[in-house]
Amino acid sequence: MNGTIKVRQICFMLVAYNAATKLLLYPTFMAAEAGNALVIPALVGVALQTAAVGATAYLSSRTDKTLFALVEQRLGRAAARTVYVLLGLYFLFLAVVPLVEQKNFIHDAYYETILSLGMLLPVFAFLFYAGMKSIKDAGAFADICLPVFAISLGAILIMSAGQGDYSNLLPVADVSAGVLGRGIIASLYRFSEPALLLIFLGNFKYRKGDAAKLTLSCAVGGLAVVATMAVFYAVYGPLARTRTFAIVNSTLFFSPLEHLGRLDLIAAYAFDLVVLFALALYVQAFTHCFCRAFGREDFNCLFSAIATAVLVAVVLIVNNKYSLLQRAAASWFFIPVIIFSYLLPLGAHLLVRGKRGGKAHEDGR
Amino acid sequence: MKYSLKGRIEKICALSSSDDVMKFTFLSAAGDKFACIYADSIADKVAIGELIIKPLKLFDGRAEDAAKLIACPQLKDCPDETAAAGLIAEGCAILLAEGVGAIVAADVKNPPMRAVMEPPTQVAVKGPREGFTEDIKTNLGLIRKRLKSDRLEIRFLTVGKRSKTAVALVSLKDVAADGLVEKVERSIEQNEIDIIPDSSYIAGFVSRRPRSLFRRNSSSEKPDVFCAKVCEGRVGIIVDGSPIALTVPYTLSEDFQTAEDYYIVSYRATFLRFLRIFAVVVGILLPSLYVCAQLFKIQLIPKKLLFKIASSVEGIPLSPSVEMLFTLIVLEVLNEASVRMPKYVGLALSVVGALVLGDTAVKAGIISTPAVIIVAFSAICLYTVPDFVETSTLLRLLCLIVAGSLGTFGIVVLAAIIVAYLAGENDFGVPLLSPLAPLNARDMRDAAFKGGMYSLITRPSALGVKNKVRLKRNERND
Repeated sequence: MNGTIKVRQICFMLVAYNAATKLLLYPTFMAAEAGNALVIPALVGVALQTAAVGATAYLSSRTDKTLFALVEQRLGRAAARTVYVLLGLYFLFLAVVPLVEQKNFIHDAYYETILSLGMLLPVFAFLFYAGMKSIKDAGAFADICLPVFAISLGAILIMSAGQGDYSNLLPVADVSAGVLGRGIIASLYRFSEPALLLIFLGNFKYRKGDAAKLTLSCAVGGLAVVATMAVFYAVYGPLARTRTFAIVNSTLFFSPLEHLGRLDLIAAYAFDLVVLFALALYVQAFTHCFCRAFGREDFNCLFSAIATAVLVAVVLIVNNKYSLLQRAAASWFFIPVIIFSYLLPLGAHLLVRGKRGGKAHEDGR
Repeated sequence: MKYSLKGRIEKICALSSSDDVMKFTFLSAAGDKFACIYADSIADKVAIGELIIKPLKLFDGRAEDAAKLIACPQLKDCPDETAAAGLIAEGCAILLAEGVGAIVAADVKNPPMRAVMEPPTQVAVKGPREGFTEDIKTNLGLIRKRLKSDRLEIRFLTVGKRSKTAVALVSLKDVAADGLVEKVERSIEQNEIDIIPDSSYIAGFVSRRPRSLFRRNSSSEKPDVFCAKVCEGRVGIIVDGSPIALTVPYTLSEDFQTAEDYYIVSYRATFLRFLRIFAVVVGILLPSLYVCAQLFKIQLIPKKLLFKIASSVEGIPLSPSVEMLFTLIVLEVLNEASVRMPKYVGLALSVVGALVLGDTAVKAGIISTPAVIIVAFSAICLYTVPDFVETSTLLRLLCLIVAGSLGTFGIVVLAAIIVAYLAGENDFGVPLLSPLAPLNARDMRDAAFKGGMYSLITRPSALGVKNKVRLKRNERND
């Protein structure tokens, strides 16, 4: 199975999906939490995430085994299965906030009305379908999504960058350390990419310098988020906390749109396509983990259906309680993120003995 | 008598059971009795007379040696009368002699065929104008004319229980991926069918997903295009009776390439390729986006245009989606009728369709002017890539239905599903979206872009070819 996904494709994911899942409501949320210093908690989050991705990427330079094989080798099959089941559930957990934000985005950007949840059925149909696809296919999706992401976000930034007053971001020093600290804690749950790298472990051929590429890609994705947030706050200033969905609202004052119509929405819709694939990756990751944990690669359809059903249930429960979800996310969601996205990759280092290729054990798959 | 001529003639005629099977008996100079049996509709009677009957009438040797005199280059021995009947059906003339057991078949078939001419579906302004015909031998001749390599491999298969259609697999031995020809051969041979009237039947056999909306093979009527694809490492399929040759493995980007791209300046070719991609996207999405804008997101339309549209749609009794669907269906009906009708009626139909129906429907207030303009522009856009029209017209209809019910959001999800489907598909191990997904920068030089001649020095790597280099430049000091 080694070599089913290319390092380039993982890099693309770390740029496009990393940014796509954060850019729906995160800028508004951070504007509310940290005011004009919104980029600082984001930069801290990006730095932490990039460091963790770097550590996970370094792990891939030390072993060509999957996480499952590593755990199985040191702790036994039962432990490996448990880790993969927990990891799979963690991916579903990670999908919740972006999915609910996506639901709100659909209402706001596509319809401007609150629609019945039945209108979301196509999203779940897509998640179910894409969730059945293999890791190799996930790589192919990333190849398509990166140019879409780059063009759409590029167009949005070009249209909005000139409309902002960047002095709105100053003075950063005025914001107290307590506010910044709260902002960092409250937003940490969004910086969870290192866990995704764990499931790709052993599924790509590592070459010298790949760890640096992966780390750099994560940083680029994170910086794209920071840049968009800065432009958003520059455009709206203190009002940013009341304006949802930066990618749709930042471009509102671009004067040519008066004559051309809201062409920026086409870019936003293209961006949303990337968000859908980013969400699908969580379902794919869940399916992959459960298939591996139960040793049934042919059950991908069942596990994808289970993941989709769980997400449907969560959306039905949360539905119009986004603020409640947001409060919960801000107060305790960072705990599982620290465990699975930060401590688990670091812990995985302890499972690797010797150098890559040396004392190689057969992959347990 | 052991080998009675009369008895064997009767047996073969009974097996052939067709009124166009003719028999001709004659005596040689030595007085031996011979018979020649052939199918009148397919055999060349002049060749029979000149190559078989004339030399035998002058022959005064033993009847057993008569076969040596036949001047036909393709002679076969038939084991029995049943095989002889089969060969008659294929166009051979069967020669029998009184008291001689051997049955000789001479290939003298001359089926009706048309001359080599410019293919009507792939007209070229620049470049070769020859096109394939329905005759497999002529087509292979056109290929041999362009590929004089001793590495050119042509494998013949016979497909069709009743039609026994000849199918030729054309490849370059030192280029095509290992085992590719065998895979194609197996995928064709594992099917038993009565008749192969056209290469599109074979297209269904070589596809991993024959029910897919997206085709899985490239087709061409032009030998220059066919040969270029074989040189890239693909396997060509020529079917007797069809002027359309196939090549596999197929990538979606092939549909957006034309032969002329390689005969004009690369910048112009790149521009045209982007234009085709843009046109197809616009052609598929424009009617649905128009409906979405009207129903769900009016801000997508510029204000001035919005006022124009508002005045046009005022009083139209149909909803935007039903109006667009109706107009599209009218277009499809007109398109279908104009293709099927005789040419002289087709012209009148165009006038009736475009002027009378379109103009009157707008004036009567049944459909609006923007709807007619959008549908017409969409149709023109889609025909910039004629090979993709079968798929794109259906996608346009699907998008319209989704747009009418779910709006732009539905189109985004539909696009995501289509992308997810296409990105996961491959035939003969070659991804359908290659070189876009998986991304291959080198192959991209001949996909959406069209690089100059010297940037296309390697064959597409997605095809897994044995010999990667297709262009080598030898530096000269002078």
